[in-house]
Amino acid sequence: MAVSFLITWAMTLWLAIGALVAVPFLLWGLDRIDPDADGAYVFRPLLVPGVLLIWPLVLWRWRVLAVGREDEMARCRPNRGAHRPIAIILPVVLAVTMIFGLAARQHWPSDIAPVQVSRP
Amino acid sequence: MSVKFIPVQWNQNKWLYDAVLLVGVGAFLWVFLYITPETLSHEHPINPQIHNARAFGACAFVMLTVVLCIGPLVRLDARFLPLLYNRRHFGVLTAMVAMTHAGFILGWYFAFSPTERVQALFQANTSYGQIAGFPFEIFGVVALVILLVLAATSHDFWLKFLTPPLWKRLHMGIYVAYAAVVAHVALGILQDQQNVAVPLLFLGGAAVVAGLHLWAALADRGGARPQAADWLQVCDAHDIADGRARIAELPNGDRVAVFRHGQSLSAIANACAHQNGPLGEGRILDCLVTCPWHGFQYDVTNGRSPAPFTEKVPTYNLRLEGAQVLVDPRANAPGTPVPPLSVAHLEQT
Repeated sequence: MAVSFLITWAMTLWLAIGALVAVPFLLWGLDRIDPDADGAYVFRPLLVPGVLLIWPLVLWRWRVLAVGREDEMARCRPNRGAHRPIAIILPVVLAVTMIFGLAARQHWPSDIAPVQVSRP
Repeated sequence: MSVKFIPVQWNQNKWLYDAVLLVGVGAFLWVFLYITPETLSHEHPINPQIHNARAFGACAFVMLTVVLCIGPLVRLDARFLPLLYNRRHFGVLTAMVAMTHAGFILGWYFAFSPTERVQALFQANTSYGQIAGFPFEIFGVVALVILLVLAATSHDFWLKFLTPPLWKRLHMGIYVAYAAVVAHVALGILQDQQNVAVPLLFLGGAAVVAGLHLWAALADRGGARPQAADWLQVCDAHDIADGRARIAELPNGDRVAVFRHGQSLSAIANACAHQNGPLGEGRILDCLVTCPWHGFQYDVTNGRSPAPFTEKVPTYNLRLEGAQVLVDPRANAPGTPVPPLSVAHLEQT
């Protein structure tokens, strides 16, 4: 009970902080860091869910861009090195998961007639 | 490409892509709900909420499986590029379908107690120490949260704001989401011994995703990274077709695309500034290199998008040794003009 309450409370707190970040970022911050956003308002509501969910990342990038510490070269350096490990790890994880799932399948008498369940 | 951000940059291809997506989702749900009750063991009486939850859950799994197949398919064969073009809309729709599945689950299994629904989800089953009867719902929650983050950060603004490499890292969460979905299904519906079709669909889908990723990784092994040098040999100038490029790997791991435009050569970074698409696999259209992923364009002599657009990629210096093309591995700042290297004299010999 306590853990589930803490989880839901933490989720609410996370989203509430995100809302506090979203207001100044979308109303004022955006215009100062991105010329393409200056004067463009219709698309901003679409950004609200993103800010709510990843507000720490938003705050960090907002600061990097605001103080002009952006490394322009880094934009064109894709992280290609991640593809190979993913291509190996993903099949292993999927196979192990499926094996566990199949091994844990339960057996029960199949001749028991199903019972209609309904809303109480 | 747009000068000012707008909600969605609609065009004919996106309308068509989204229309096919919606028809596909609608057809899947219709088949699942009304055509195949015997195949899916739904001839037994179950209530509409459970029926709908299963339909939307299966649909989300199939959609996620298809989304994950697009990347390796495109790396294996460029004919699959149209699938990549609007993949983000596919992802957003997948998150919506998964959300609907979660809504039906919360609205039935966790709706009839004094405890708040989300809180009830976390406390209904806490048998985390066993495989049989494991609270598989937690995997679904993890996957749904990731899908929502990816959907919420799918607008082009996020690509520019976070930078393509960071955005890609964030969106690699799709692999964690898929593993979580597979665990959610393996410890959930797969435990239904009587059902055959769903396990087959599930095992087949996961096997295709795993197999395609392995295949694409093996096909893209490439050669050893070159040693550091002042100038690196790329290829013979005659080997580059007009309007096309040869891609070379540099000692620092970056890739350079050397384009031929008529009688001259120019080199720019291989990664598009929009989503790091492979510019070297594109071609020159109207004197501009066009990214094969989303059509972003750059002047090959200065790495800049045509005005009024503002995207820039690094450029590289080239020189010839006989007919061999050599590139300076030290990139110029994005948007730096470099005079094209003439190869006209080679054509005459």
